[in-house]
Amino acid sequence: MLDDNRDIYREEIMEHYRHPQNFGTMKRPTFEAEALNPLCGDKILLQLKVNKKGVVEQVRFSGAGCALSIASSSQFTEWMVGKTVKKLKTTGPDQIQKLMRAKIGPARLPCMLISLYALQKMLN
Amino acid sequence: MISEIRNQFPILKKRGAKPLAYLDNAATTQKPLAVLETIDEFYRTKNAPVHRGVYALAEAATAEYESVRDHVQDFINAKQREEIIFTSGATAGINMVVSGLAADYLHAGDHILLSDMEHHAMIVPWQDAARRKKLKIDFVPLTAEGRINLGVYKKLLAKHKPKFVGVTHVSNVLGTENPVREMTALAHKVGALVLVDAAQSIAHMPVDVQKLNCDFLAFSGHKMYGPTGVGVLYGKYELLERLPPYIFGGHMIEQVTRAKTTYAPLPEKFEGGTPPVAEVIGLGAAISFLQNIGLKNIKKEESKLTAYALRALKNISGLTLLGPATADARAPIFSFTLKGIHPHDIATLLDREGIAVRAGHHCAQILHESFSLDASVRVSLCVYNTPSEIDRLVRALVTIQKRFYA
Repeated sequence: MLDDNRDIYREEIMEHYRHPQNFGTMKRPTFEAEALNPLCGDKILLQLKVNKKGVVEQVRFSGAGCALSIASSSQFTEWMVGKTVKKLKTTGPDQIQKLMRAKIGPARLPCMLISLYALQKMLN
Repeated sequence: MISEIRNQFPILKKRGAKPLAYLDNAATTQKPLAVLETIDEFYRTKNAPVHRGVYALAEAATAEYESVRDHVQDFINAKQREEIIFTSGATAGINMVVSGLAADYLHAGDHILLSDMEHHAMIVPWQDAARRKKLKIDFVPLTAEGRINLGVYKKLLAKHKPKFVGVTHVSNVLGTENPVREMTALAHKVGALVLVDAAQSIAHMPVDVQKLNCDFLAFSGHKMYGPTGVGVLYGKYELLERLPPYIFGGHMIEQVTRAKTTYAPLPEKFEGGTPPVAEVIGLGAAISFLQNIGLKNIKKEESKLTAYALRALKNISGLTLLGPATADARAPIFSFTLKGIHPHDIATLLDREGIAVRAGHHCAQILHESFSLDASVRVSLCVYNTPSEIDRLVRALVTIQKRFYA
């Protein structure tokens, strides 16, 4: 198996899967939305707490999924903290690609982007 | 013998970083040279419209196309050649039957009996027909081993007197071979018509429609070493006569006037439009490929492979197999989960080892739900697979577990 630093299943990513950051739920989120992975039916609930200045203070995600969806959600939610809602509205797939530092084929792309789908759903 | 068979499949010789272990045969099989060459030869030297041209080339194409109908009749032992309808695949065949029966044979309140292991191709057309015609659909549950619960089946037949029973010959997830002959006889006692979905059995065991005595039977070419875009619907002559056409247009007519159209006799009535001529002829070559090896031989060899695979998979800790644990009445299809690892991760990581498997619900969400699962990994074998490919699979699965549990 590949073990270079572009591998989507490299140890750093697997650590995010085994111990995801921001995993869980919060009470009274400012925004929340659920995204469905059409490939396998996995669901992820994404919740954001935003302060008066429009800055994200806390993010939580929950649900079950494959390593790619959990690890990418873990990294993406870490990145979201401290960003403005305005910034998040213009965030696209490139950001997750950048965080994951890996490319994935079209069949598994929805797994990697599932928390982005939830984000787009809640902000639009 | 196995190397002789493998040699006939060019794609199996493909060498990438890792040799290809193609274990997704329930989705589609690879194609032997005989099929590829037959199709190529047809387009190079014989291509012409069937049933219409009066020139020699068209007559020859028509004769070849129609000879495959005889070949299929012989292959599944139908009584008459008119009982063989060429379709685009098993899904189209099932849709033809459902749509035709719903049109005027069935009435509001009638019951339809399906099983929890049916493919979406059987369930979804009936759900649509049920919504329009106010039919009731009941599902026969499965046993823990993944077989149809025949006790409940008998009870549901007695209780609801369904007008129709739809059952798969072999489950595309569990590999279970259903006792369709007995199930058909029981269904006929209450007056139900029976449609057998033979998509997963046709390439793995002899299928004899007169022995099964089913009313309809559907299968696809591409799951039996033939091309995509072609399939067969078998129906008893008098029933096909009663069913209305499904696709309207050229060729399926007897006479068209401004006032009305009368339809052609069987089988033309169900073959509107230009048929997939090259694909039908390719299907003929695929049937010859199967007959040259012999379906009984195939069943025997695949049964050995099934027993081997079941033993090998059993040794993997954390692996839960869906479906029967023994090789009896079972096709070489193995769906499973690995504790703590998502099926899609398993499939992606197996792909890196050159091993092609399917992950997901395999168009059988109700089945997965009845086992409280969203998805599984499916390994499906056929006549060209070997024990060493199963060994490779097992080694790769153990390596994946190590990576995930690190």
